[in-house]
Amino acid sequence: MMSEIEFLEWVRGPGFQIATIIFIAGVIIRLLEIVILGRKENLAEAKGSEMSSGLRTIVSRTIPDKGAFKRSTFTIVAGYIFHIGLFVTIFLFAPHILLFKDVIGLSWPSLPTPVVDAFAVVSIITLLAILIHRMRDNVLRFLSTKEDYLVWMLTILPLVTGYMAFHRIGMSAPTLLAIHILTVELLMVAFPFTKFMHAFTIVLARWYNGAISGYRGVQS
Amino acid sequence: MSASLEKGINALKEQVDSSVAAFFSSCVHCGMCADACLFYTETGEAAATPINKTEPLRRIWKSEYTLLGRLGKVFGLNKKVDDELLAEWETLVYDNCTLCGRCSMVCPVGNDIALMIRKTREGMAKAGHAPEGLIGATKRSVTIGSPMGVKLPALQAQISHVEKDTGMKIPLDEVGADYMLLLSSMEIMNFPEFIEAVAKIFDKAGATWTISSEAFEATNSGIQIGVSDIAAELVQRVVDAAEKLKVKTVISPECGHAYMAIRWDGPNLVGKPFSFKVRHILEVLDEFRQQGRLKISGKETQKLTYHDPCQISRRGGVIDQPRNLINMFAEDFVEMPEAGKMNWCCGAGGGVSSNERADEVRLKVFQRKKDQLDEIKPDAIVSACSNCRIHLEDGLEEYNMDIPLMSLTETLAEHLADD
Amino acid sequence: MSQITNDEEFRQALHGLDAVQQRVVAAGFVEHVLSLSTDDRIAGIVKVAADSGASDNDVANALKSAKSAAIDSHTRCGSEGDWTDQAGYFVARAAVAAVTPLAQSKGGSPAWQAAMSCRMAKTSILIDNEADEAPSHNESEWQYSMLSDYLNS
Repeated sequence: MMSEIEFLEWVRGPGFQIATIIFIAGVIIRLLEIVILGRKENLAEAKGSEMSSGLRTIVSRTIPDKGAFKRSTFTIVAGYIFHIGLFVTIFLFAPHILLFKDVIGLSWPSLPTPVVDAFAVVSIITLLAILIHRMRDNVLRFLSTKEDYLVWMLTILPLVTGYMAFHRIGMSAPTLLAIHILTVELLMVAFPFTKFMHAFTIVLARWYNGAISGYRGVQS
Repeated sequence: MSASLEKGINALKEQVDSSVAAFFSSCVHCGMCADACLFYTETGEAAATPINKTEPLRRIWKSEYTLLGRLGKVFGLNKKVDDELLAEWETLVYDNCTLCGRCSMVCPVGNDIALMIRKTREGMAKAGHAPEGLIGATKRSVTIGSPMGVKLPALQAQISHVEKDTGMKIPLDEVGADYMLLLSSMEIMNFPEFIEAVAKIFDKAGATWTISSEAFEATNSGIQIGVSDIAAELVQRVVDAAEKLKVKTVISPECGHAYMAIRWDGPNLVGKPFSFKVRHILEVLDEFRQQGRLKISGKETQKLTYHDPCQISRRGGVIDQPRNLINMFAEDFVEMPEAGKMNWCCGAGGGVSSNERADEVRLKVFQRKKDQLDEIKPDAIVSACSNCRIHLEDGLEEYNMDIPLMSLTETLAEHLADD
Repeated sequence: MSQITNDEEFRQALHGLDAVQQRVVAAGFVEHVLSLSTDDRIAGIVKVAADSGASDNDVANALKSAKSAAIDSHTRCGSEGDWTDQAGYFVARAAVAAVTPLAQSKGGSPAWQAAMSCRMAKTSILIDNEADEAPSHNESEWQYSMLSDYLNS
């Protein structure tokens, strides 16, 4: 059995390397798989530009249609809360920014820790609400697969374990930290093989949507 | 048109391109597409969730075009596409979807789900899992030239009727005319006044036009059933006629899917750009309006609203033109809630109304349009698609609402000033 | 009053009639092609239309019934068109025109609309029979004759 220090060293060392390689290679392969298929040229007389409409939709699709907002309020609001929460806790937390500086050489300002903490708590609560919603709503119950629940788990674990590690709840500091890092590595490994990929492919999908619709003169 | 599962699977494979792959990779199962689809909102049937309708295509994408999927295929781990699946999906893809495209407008990750469903139909049709009514319509389109079996003598009968009524000559097969008009069988059979309206307007506007006796049909059943080869053949007939008559512009009439078929799909189906323009009748009329060639006398005083045919507005890009034209003759024009590119489908397009099996659900989902109308309580509804018109009338009757339907072109013609 | 012999005169004469007269004349047109429809409701509608003393309520009900008949008899998009059945659709359309109030009628003449739809019904019956040519008939002549008699009486 590993000591807790050895565990921490492993996840920071080989664990991190393995996860990073799988993550980067996996994402690249998935993106290539898409792009390599290509798309036939549109021979109809164009009404609008594909490129500019596509680029517009990448941004504009972030803003929900009024009618859609009324009908899918929970999904939209909860979705934004936890995505923003993830962004804040991952990228605006001082210890994380130090890690980024180490790995890619860049750093940027952080938010005060109590603020990040609050975002973490709100995100966790929201994710719990999302799980309940997914299990009770008749459309989501119908659509959801094991992958949806796995991805949910892999998303909430780093938030929960990160919170626990920071507040040193329940176990020794090194163990908590190691567990937190491990959960992130699990997420990284699962990333290319699951719907996590939408983080990258959303740019392509929204562009295609805008391009196809914009060609016909409709801004989507 | 012999069908087989193998042909179906091959068809699905051919339909996967980079956009389809990007779409399937991005879906996060959020369910927002269901909230945008009237076949879900008015029935509560989770299976009608738009992205669910694409399952056969998704399985092919997964197992043929993803590393994980190809590995899974080797070990027999993938979900299969078989006759059982396609049979089960037939009603979802054909009875519960009009390809209206609202789902494509709301998907947060940007999926063009209506396009994906259209592509799914290619596989379903080639595997023989398409509705009877559509199969018949398509056969008739190919052998007779019209999905409803309308032959040239029938068209000629309608033409001579219109000629007597208006005292004008309807130009058949005139070489060098500016415009060649296509007609949907629906118009020829049920609304021959459309031809009359066009004749009057074009006469006043001073535009030369013609109908081809060899290619007068606008409806493209190949598109509705989802068989591109047939769709291409039907388009080629129009291309041949337009080139033979040396016309500058081909006009798509008041039919939604016909416009999509000839304007946007056409050149891609036949594999080369057209040497002529394609315009919807509303686009042409709006051009006349802009050029000051339309003089109106007398206004409609009743409260009017406009129903956007999905394939013309949201999927076709002809959104402002009908409004410009209506404002010429309407004193009291009021928009529906969510009008324009987010308007709700009437529920009958894309082959749904040709399919008797879908009658019940078609009338049920009309409730959505009813709710829109209840909010504004118009005296009459203007639209620009014969199928929308008939189905709206049907739905209004079913729900005991007395709101007449008006064709935009016909109403415009009625208000032309005699100079 | 001389005999009407062409559409110009026919149309003018119809335009000169008042609302009730138009309805009664239209009823006459529809009755002549009644046999081309298989819908039982049409006969009842014609009866109401032909009655110059019919109440507004009766006419309104007849209109509702006629509209229903028209929707029921139309050929649905994509289905195999049967022109014999379609004749019934045009008879229903004629019935609708006959009981449509003057103010709401297209072109201001319900009787003219009814007359055209009746002719269309006659044409429809002949379409499936003819192989290569556009069919023709004499319904218009009968209508001229009928209107002339009505005006002379």
